[in-house]
Amino acid sequence: MQYESQRIAYKYFVISALLFGLQVIFGLITGAKYVWDFDPLINILPFNTSRAIHLNLLIVWLLFGFMGETYYLVPEEAETEIYSAKLANLQLYLLAVIGIAAITGYVFGWSWGMPFLEQPTVLKIGIVIVALIFLFNIFMTMMKTRKWTGILIVLLAGLVLLALLFLSGIFFMKNLTTQYYYWFWVIHLWTEGAWELIAGAIMAFVLLKLTGVDRELVEKWLYIEVGLVLFTGIAGTGHHYYWIGTPKYWLWVGAAFGALEPLPIFLMVIDTLRHVRERKVEIENKIVLYWAVGSAVLHFFGAGVWGFAHNLPQVNRWTHGTQVTASHGHFAFFGAYVMLNLTMIYFALPKLKGIRLFKHGLSLMALRTMTFSMLMMVLAFAIAGIVQIYLQRVLGMDYLTTQRFMKPWFTVLWISGWGFALGVLMYIIDFFTLKQVEPSPVHRRSQNE
Amino acid sequence: MTISQAKAIFIWSTVFSAVLFLALTYDSVSKMPQRTNEKNLDEHVAAGKWVWQKYNCNDCHTILGIGGYYAPDVTKVVSYRDADWVRRFIEDPEKVWPASRKMPNLHLKDQEIADVTAFLTWVNGIDTNNWPPKPLTVAAAGAPKPGEAIFKDQGCSACHMIGGIGGTAGPDLTQVGGRRDKEWIEEQLKNPKSHNPNSIMPSYAKLPEKDREDLADYLSGLK
Repeated sequence: MQYESQRIAYKYFVISALLFGLQVIFGLITGAKYVWDFDPLINILPFNTSRAIHLNLLIVWLLFGFMGETYYLVPEEAETEIYSAKLANLQLYLLAVIGIAAITGYVFGWSWGMPFLEQPTVLKIGIVIVALIFLFNIFMTMMKTRKWTGILIVLLAGLVLLALLFLSGIFFMKNLTTQYYYWFWVIHLWTEGAWELIAGAIMAFVLLKLTGVDRELVEKWLYIEVGLVLFTGIAGTGHHYYWIGTPKYWLWVGAAFGALEPLPIFLMVIDTLRHVRERKVEIENKIVLYWAVGSAVLHFFGAGVWGFAHNLPQVNRWTHGTQVTASHGHFAFFGAYVMLNLTMIYFALPKLKGIRLFKHGLSLMALRTMTFSMLMMVLAFAIAGIVQIYLQRVLGMDYLTTQRFMKPWFTVLWISGWGFALGVLMYIIDFFTLKQVEPSPVHRRSQNE
Repeated sequence: MTISQAKAIFIWSTVFSAVLFLALTYDSVSKMPQRTNEKNLDEHVAAGKWVWQKYNCNDCHTILGIGGYYAPDVTKVVSYRDADWVRRFIEDPEKVWPASRKMPNLHLKDQEIADVTAFLTWVNGIDTNNWPPKPLTVAAAGAPKPGEAIFKDQGCSACHMIGGIGGTAGPDLTQVGGRRDKEWIEEQLKNPKSHNPNSIMPSYAKLPEKDREDLADYLSGLK
């Protein structure tokens, strides 16, 4: 760690780790409702409430992660302290309070009722204020030295886009089609636009530091990748406009641009692997590399391949509105954003704790447990979805009868969910107990030379 | 490739896609009023949309295929059932559809129920490019017998099983024609308590005479 104000990141990481744990608990509660029809919580925490909390916690912990990572990354890139540590702390507490208010509110039926954007309008205004404080603080930090590295430019573009797009999810519109049209400007253009820029910049930073390859090479790839992400992703929003009351030409536009979306993600895998192969320094904490490569690969399969699979209208007509979407959603979020966050946290955490080398055992176990369990969950959701499509959409069976045939897969899902929760528990324990280990003799020798 | 060339790719591919997207957005917004029958979108519908949001219906039910996958899609519910059925169901889900996976009774006010029903009736008219698709087997078999369609529309299979598909709250009807005749069934539909004073089956006296006859015709044919 080179700058004192990078320490701010730690608090953000702590909150993100705790919320991650809470998110998974709500996932298990939500999943149980699929397995058992009898729901003892139906009047306290019905499915819609627990799902809303599960979704919101995901977004919030990832955002806490991104913000912490930005506070860690920007000083090193801009080569200066954060503009105002006080603002960074204020913003942290504000967002935490808003988050608690939102989740408590859902339990008491205080909701705005659009999926992912259930936060009541007052709280959304609060979120906008938090975003403005954050952007101001980051921008002022960058302006101190004006070292506009490619990583900083892409990161800033992503953060500005993130804040701007959120505005399209605030207003109540009478027409449901119009409401959903702009709702996707948040849901799709965040995950397949703004967040990709932020994640791309963070990944480039980690690879640069980890492998010691030329900055120019890393940033060149970064520009091309995020350029392609936005090229395919912006017009690719059209793959959500097939069936919601929008004109027919979206079937063509969405299919064509959406089908290209895996391309930049594939390039990311290639360049990650290439940077690792051509590394110029010995990687001390190899586990960070495992997380990074894991993220690149699962990002490609989860967001790219799994998205491509039901992107074409001919397929999407059948899969839309079924558990196939849930399968894709879980896979994509895990590969693209959960693993990326953990990559950067594992990169920064030892430095924040003043540790050089740490024991990798628990982290590696968490990585394996989470990945394996998530793959099982993704398959269970996918099979449940295919059963649903066949019985309900092809044979015309009643919705609830169909659900009974899906139950075995919901059971697999739920058991795998416990496995995933175990992986998260390992991560949280590792996060709080990370300890220095003495370098092995081989390591010491290579350093003396 | 130099870094400034890469940067140019980043900027121009973003601009290209954004311009195309915004142009199509402009066009879409101008066409949406017609495709969604905005002329029918009155205050009741708007109020009903807010009821839909206020009670967070969308995190269980999908609408236009978007939302929670815990409960049926409601985009075309008014076509599958009818507005009256929707109203009665929201009033007391358990009574109308005693399924094992339950919807909580949200205790909506009468006005809220009327509004959300108006909203769903309006949603039913949105041009969704023929989504959701018609089941293939139904399309292949041609039009079902009128009684069979009513059986589906009225959600009878929530309680009654036919050929292994359906609920268990009421008797299995797979071979009901073997034990009951058409007249008996018609009477049962009109007044379920006439045969068994403790019957929990709701009365279908509200159906037109012709529909009840078709339904009884269909059921008495199951032998």
